[in-house]
Amino acid sequence: MEHIPILKVGDFLLVTIQVDMHDRLVMQLQDDVCQRVVKDKAKGVLIDISSLEVVDSFIGRMLGTIATMTKTLGAETVVVGMRPAVAITIVELGLKLENVHTALNVDRGIALLQSLVYQKDAMQ
Amino acid sequence: MVLSAVWQDTREFLITLSKNWAAVGVSSGQAARFVFSLKQSVFEIIAKEQLKAELHNNVVWDANILIDELGLFVIEMYQKSREDIIKRQQQELLELSTPVVKIWNGILILPLIGTLDSARTQIVLENLLQSIVDTESSIAIIDITGVPTVDTLVAQHLLKTVSAARLMGTQCVISGIRPQIAQTMVHLGVTFSDVVTKATLADALFYAFNAVGFAVQKKS
Repeated sequence: MEHIPILKVGDFLLVTIQVDMHDRLVMQLQDDVCQRVVKDKAKGVLIDISSLEVVDSFIGRMLGTIATMTKTLGAETVVVGMRPAVAITIVELGLKLENVHTALNVDRGIALLQSLVYQKDAMQ
Repeated sequence: MVLSAVWQDTREFLITLSKNWAAVGVSSGQAARFVFSLKQSVFEIIAKEQLKAELHNNVVWDANILIDELGLFVIEMYQKSREDIIKRQQQELLELSTPVVKIWNGILILPLIGTLDSARTQIVLENLLQSIVDTESSIAIIDITGVPTVDTLVAQHLLKTVSAARLMGTQCVISGIRPQIAQTMVHLGVTFSDVVTKATLADALFYAFNAVGFAVQKKS
């Protein structure tokens, strides 16, 4: 069974999707991310989809689901590097992707995560 | 008659001719007259054959119909090439009319002029997203000063553009909403919720500068 690697960087988890996604792989990823958020006490998850060229409604929806799940577990999710074609597809499919933060690249994604997490910490 | 296989070569010749004429600006009347001018010489040749009256009439009639058909064919082809030219120009105009300008580091401006339909929105969207990738901009201003009316459909198109840009990690600001348009929008129940809107491009630019961390100062 193939896995998508999840790397721990400080307080955040870094997920780089470098293969074409199929349904079972996404389900696996969702499971793995949730496990790791709890295990590593992560405060944020960064999903880099810059190599992802094709999305369907299921994978699009799963991005939103993963974000909602991590939020429930207390971690923010930022999706970075979305390609124009993928963005257009998701909009055309009418997916809302609530709870998903977005950024142009990993650099800005980390900056965004930091600001999100610090803001939350400051509020508590 | 003209569409049969025997006339294949003639047809091809006439198609090339019509295309060239349409390109250089010969009128359709002139093109038709060129074909019809064959009549005189063809009839002269038939007359020389000295056929019997009845046969002669039939031959002349057939030749007449044939040349008429050729003439009509030329006009049709001429018109078709004209229409192709118009279509291509429309396409070019469509692409020309949707520039995406990088106005500052990290700030894009997209001045929209003319009505937004779905075909145009698609091009605008693709241009904008590509520019976002190329310039790594974090904020994009969509200026709709030149859009004459904003109805539910146009608003929906705009919102689509905004959501796609958001997915790429870029915030959109909509500017240039005239008082008249604001009123109609509210009457129609169209709202740009979750999107920052500004009355003028200057306001939007000021907001964008703030968002990316620049301040405009007067020289002392």
